[in-house]
This record gives sequence, structure tokens and C-alpha cells, in this order.
Amino acid sequence: MGLIDDRFDKNIFTTSLDFLFNWGRRSSLWWLQFGLACCAIEMISASMARFDLSERFGMLFRSSPRAADLMIVAGTVTKKMAPIVRTLYDQMSEPKWVLSMGSCANVGGPYDTYAVVQGVDQVVPVDVYVPGCPPTPESLYYGILQLQNKIIKFDTIARKEGKGRAEDQRVAERQLAMAGIRG
Amino acid sequence: MTDGENQTTQQTLVPTGTGWERELYFDDDLSKHPVVRELRAVFPDDFLDAVRFRNETTIYVNPAKFREIAFYMRDHEKLQVNFLSDLTAVDMLNLRTAPRFDVTAQIYSIPNRIRLRMKASIDDGMSIPSLVPVFNGANWMERECFDMFGIFFEGHPNLRRILLQDDWDEGHPLRKDYPTRGWKDYPVYNKERTIRRTKTRWTGRGV
Amino acid sequence: MEPVKTPFNVMDSTQTEYSGTLMVEDEHELASGERVMTLNMGPQHPSTHGVMRVLLKLDGETVIECDPMIGYLHRGTEKLSETKRYAQIVPWTDRLDYTAAPQNNLGYVLAVEKLLGLNAPERAQYWRVIMVELSRIASHLVWLGTHALDIGALSMSLYTFREREMIMDIFETFCGARLTTNMMEIGGFSRQLPDGLIPQIRNFLRVFPSKLKEYTDLLSANPIWLARTKGVGVITPEAAISYSLTGACLRGSGINYDVRKADPYLVYDQLDFEVPLGQFGDVFDRYLVRVEELRQAHKIVTQALNYIENDDRPMMAYESAYVMPPHMGTMTTAEDMQRHFVWVIKGFSAPVGEVYHAIEHGKGEFGIHIVSDGGSMPYRLRLRTPDYVNLGVLPHMAQGAMLADMVALIGTIDIVLGSVDR
Repeated sequence: MGLIDDRFDKNIFTTSLDFLFNWGRRSSLWWLQFGLACCAIEMISASMARFDLSERFGMLFRSSPRAADLMIVAGTVTKKMAPIVRTLYDQMSEPKWVLSMGSCANVGGPYDTYAVVQGVDQVVPVDVYVPGCPPTPESLYYGILQLQNKIIKFDTIARKEGKGRAEDQRVAERQLAMAGIRG
Repeated sequence: MTDGENQTTQQTLVPTGTGWERELYFDDDLSKHPVVRELRAVFPDDFLDAVRFRNETTIYVNPAKFREIAFYMRDHEKLQVNFLSDLTAVDMLNLRTAPRFDVTAQIYSIPNRIRLRMKASIDDGMSIPSLVPVFNGANWMERECFDMFGIFFEGHPNLRRILLQDDWDEGHPLRKDYPTRGWKDYPVYNKERTIRRTKTRWTGRGV
Repeated sequence: MEPVKTPFNVMDSTQTEYSGTLMVEDEHELASGERVMTLNMGPQHPSTHGVMRVLLKLDGETVIECDPMIGYLHRGTEKLSETKRYAQIVPWTDRLDYTAAPQNNLGYVLAVEKLLGLNAPERAQYWRVIMVELSRIASHLVWLGTHALDIGALSMSLYTFREREMIMDIFETFCGARLTTNMMEIGGFSRQLPDGLIPQIRNFLRVFPSKLKEYTDLLSANPIWLARTKGVGVITPEAAISYSLTGACLRGSGINYDVRKADPYLVYDQLDFEVPLGQFGDVFDRYLVRVEELRQAHKIVTQALNYIENDDRPMMAYESAYVMPPHMGTMTTAEDMQRHFVWVIKGFSAPVGEVYHAIEHGKGEFGIHIVSDGGSMPYRLRLRTPDYVNLGVLPHMAQGAMLADMVALIGTIDIVLGSVDR
């Protein structure tokens, strides 16, 4: 009973297909060309002649959110801009990832003022935070590598946001059952 | 000073000075300043004061005649103060009781290289004549002034907020009684966030 | 605690309407029976150079009216500056015009020095000129690349960013940061020059003229470029003065006003350079003016470096009470240590008064207006950024222009939204 318990929750076939899909997803991330502030210049630098982010990682910047699956929030998110960031996020098709680039997008950075949202994670869910003010292109590289590691573990069948909850519920039920057995 | 070829016409006007004294009329004696002399003669009641600090001239004028004086200086055939560098306001709440705002215009004469600061003091709720008929560039500067201080410019063609949202209802941020972080918190509505933000705000700073 | 009514739209992903962001009016008819279309451009648009939004009223392909909406990057720098001490504000000036951070630093630092009545040593002034002119080149290269990219010459940005990386490396050697340099200090430079900096600048100066020729070869005789820029966005000299334009927008219309010549601030009166002027005031003239400014900046850097290369005088005005004492003195003498402590903890008290200081930024006249009440923090710090004022001419230029020219018109003003919105 203990040996085969929980062993068949995940089908072996779909897991392998997931891996194939995720491999494709992480190797051709199309990012939304969406520069907000200073970090956008470093993002452009990263994609230009010397650093060549787009060619090396199979990335391509798209101007339309419908064709993009990675949103690099590069810069300060102000209260005036926050609704638009959310609209763009909602317009992107699933699966989608958000990379918060720079201190301003992470926590508000040096701008603790009336006009600035203190962190873009108040607006959209963020997958990877890249620190720096602004992060160098190398930092952005590292952030994207981390994101790729995250994407390869992405589970398509269990929904991104529902997975943790389902897992918690399953663990709770099992503990309850175990308690019932022991009690 | 070494001038390029295209500066020959203005070379005669430039005094030889050192340090910051590069303005045309760099004498600290304000009674010799041509603009001050001219305005004192033409607007005896509305020209209030002139101050010299760090080789910069500040003139204080009656707010009701703000536009007329700018018009006069722009169209004067010798002064030709034809360029508005900047227009802004200063909230003098902590420095004096009344009037509250100083509307400040940095004006400049491209042919004569005179830089002037023209100031007019108004109280909260009062309006001041707009400079848009004189200089088109005043349009956005006055809109920003209205946005940040709530100063009304009479005769402005399109006085509405420019930097903040149109429906911003928290007041005017650059006033001295407005806290740096604003009055309201931003609503967190990212429902998918699982890790709570730690409260690291240090409240002893700013405000 | 009852929920606070938000001044803006509550943004829920389930909500479909965002009335705060899209206010495009419906189409309506003109008196002649033609239909007017209102088109929204931005804020997420690749050719608005950041987050600017433009509402266009179109009659067919012709723009009747244009309403630029800015403020999507308004971060409250002026308000924040009132809570910081004078020496602390320099990093925030980096982030105004982030393509030319040393120039913003210089404008602020010079304004504070003017308020304090302080002059940096000559060697520091020359190094300031070198860094500022390099940053002018970097700023113009970003402009050239993105402007050409908007109009259709995609490869220009690859070329210009290649040379810009060399300048970024120079900045990184000089101060440790690429983009937001935080380079200038009140009173000069407190640190020694790093090894290998001068050969690096020499290398850039050697390479750059041939690269500049590449850009002009690609663009100046390109028939598509000429068709898209010549006769487009004409600003008359009267309009340029009336709209308070500065920089290449003013000089492209033939008005001779350059702060470096008209009101020389560092050692610009001892350097030999020329101010290029345009003839017709169209997009192509402004392009020519900026390309010529690249050449002049190269010339200035060469002169300044030749003059100052073998100099080893001090770079900081240490005799003044307003600057931080030297590191060696802080570590060895009690007086300097006390001064250092007070300087760091309390700052210095500036004289009461107000100053306005303007420098010639890559984009125009960058002015800082400081009102001091005698405290250690500015009572009011006004940032007169060039592109904010220059952008005000866009409705004037766009009137009667074609829709396709809008990207050329926005690009030719050379805006950076951090500087526009502050």
C-alpha cells in the first residue's frame, strides 16, 4: 500500500509530452517589446550587436502582446501605467511568463513616491526577479537562464496557479486519512 | 572667449568676465540693469522688486500684469526677451504666511543673452494670467504647474492634468503639505501571488 | 477599515472594461461629410521610444489634430528631491535621461556649485567635459539608431549600438557603472583615474570617425531616408523660438543658441568647436545637425584629452567646506574625520537663495532651478528637461502631416520618456 501510493497521479505519457513542449517553449521565448524606463535601454543593449540576446537564446521581440509569451517588465511601473501593464498581461496568450527587470520593477527601487507602484508583483504575477539598477545585460542573461530552468519544469496539465493548491489539498486529505487510520 | 565663425555678430555684446559672470549685464548694481531700468520706468506700480544673487537677476512683478510685462519685454525692440526657458512655481508654505505660491518664469533673450527670472506671488485659489499668448512653449509648462500645484492660469487654452491621470483625486503633489508617498496606498490586486510581501517600509524617512 | 475608493480604475483580470486607459472617441462626421477617425497610438508602441501615448484625429491619412499624452513614467523626482540632501540627489538625476546620465549629473552638480559659490579644479572640469561629450555621443547614437529603426533602416541600430558599447565600457572603467553612472560629484572627482582609461578613450577616438562615415554612408544619400525626412516636420524659426525649443530642434531651424557658446559653463570657452545650424528646419536638417554634433563632440574630446592627459593636479576642491574631506585625511586626522561624519550624517547647509543653471544637454537646454532655504536639502528643485519642452511642439508639427510621418516626427524630437515625465 505504501509503495504504490501516489505513484500513478501523473501519467508517464503526458509528463514526457510536457517535457517536449517545455523544451520548445524555453528555447524560443518570444518577448514582448515593452520598455518602460532605464532598464529598457539595457534590454535593447542586450538584444543588439554585442550581447545578442535574441539570437543566442532563440528569442525574438514582438510588438504585439498576442504573439508574445514572455513579458520583461523593464523599468518603473507607475500608477498611471499599471492598468496598461495589466491589460497587456491579460492580452498575452497562455502559457506566459513575467520577468521583472530592475529594482524599480521588483520593489519600487529608489522611487518611493506617490506616483510609483512599489513592485510590479502587485499588478501581475512575476516568475523571475532580476536585481540591479539597471541590471547589466549579463544579469538579464542570468535571469533568462533561470526562467528557462523554471519553464522546463512547467506542468501543463495541472494549471500553473492551481497546481500548488491541488497539491496542498491532496497532502491535507492524505494526512487526514492517515490520521484516521492511525487514530 | 573663443567664438566660432557663426558667433561673430554677437561677439561685441559679450563682456569679458570670469567664473559665472558671463551674462551681458553682469554689474551687480541693479539700477544699471537695462531691463530693470526699463521696467521701472514703464511699470512703476507693478514692478515690485529686483534681487541679484550669484549674478542672476530676479524681478518681482504684480501677478495681474504678469503677461503684460512679458509681452512688453518680448516686443521691445532693444530688449528682445523672446525666449521662455522655464516656467514653474514654488510653494512657499514653509517660508512665509502669505501669499502662498511664487510663479517663476525663466526668460531669456537670445540676441542679447540676458537671463532673467520673473516672479509673481499669488495666493492659493487665485489665478494668474497665462503666458501662452506670449510664448507657445508655456502651454505644457503651465499645464504641469497646474497639475503639480493647482495653480490656475487664466486664458490657458487647455488647462488639464498632464503628468498624472486625468482622474487623479489626491490633490497636487508638489505642494508642501502633500506627503511624498501620497495619501493612499496602491491596491494590491494580483490574486495569484502566493508569497506575501514583507513589510520592510521604513516610515521614518521622508514625508 | 473600509476599503478606500481608488482614484483610478480597479484592475481586476476578470473585468473587461478599462475606462481609465482607453478613451478613444467614436468616429464622427465633419461638416463636409467626411468621417474623422480617432486613432490611439501607444503607450505600448515600439516607436514612441518608451511609454508615450498619442491620440490622433485623422481625415483619411492626414492628421488633423494630435494630442500627446505623457506622464506614464512620472516618478516624482522633484518631490523626492525635496527630501534628500544635496549630495544624495545625484543618482536620481541619472535616471532622468538615462541615455545620457553624465550630462544630467553635470547639470545638477553645476547648479549646486553655483549655489554654493564653488568651482571645481581645472583638471576636473576637463574630465567633466570629456565624459559629457562622450555621453553626448552615446545619447546621439541611441537617437540615431532608434530614429532610423522607426523610419525603416533596421540595421542602423545594430551599427550605432556597437559603438555605444565602447562608450559604455569607458564609463564602466571610469566609474563602475554602464548606464546610470552617478559620475559627477559636487566639487570635482574624489577618486583617481583608473589605469587603462586613457588608452581606451584613445582607441574609441581612433575608431569613431570611420564608423561615423559608415552611418552617413548608409543614410545621407539613401533615397528612402531622404523621402521620409526631407520636407517633413518643418518648424519655422519663429515657431521654434515661440515653442521654447532648444538643442537640435532649435538649431535645425537656424537659430543660433547653444548654451556652451552663449553662456559657457565649464571650459568650453577654451575649446575650439562649432555649432552646426540647419537651414530648413525639417527632419533631415535636424539629422544633419546631430550628426555634425557627433563630429564636434569627437573634436572636443580629442582636444580636452590632449590638454589634460599628462596632468596630475588634484581633481577635487578639497579646500572648500562643502565637499567631503579626502579619504586619506578621514582615516588619519581627527578634524577630517569629524568633518566627514558631519558631512555624511547632516550634510551641509547651502546659502539662502535661488539659482538657475542651464547646460547644453544632448537634447537641448537642461536647466536646474534650485530654491534654497538655508537647509541641507533643497527647498524646491525644478528640473527643466529639454525633451519635455521640445515635445510640446509635436501637435504643431503633426498638424497636416501624414500618419506615416508621425514616427518620424516623434523620433526627430529625440525624446526619452524618463526625462519627459521625470
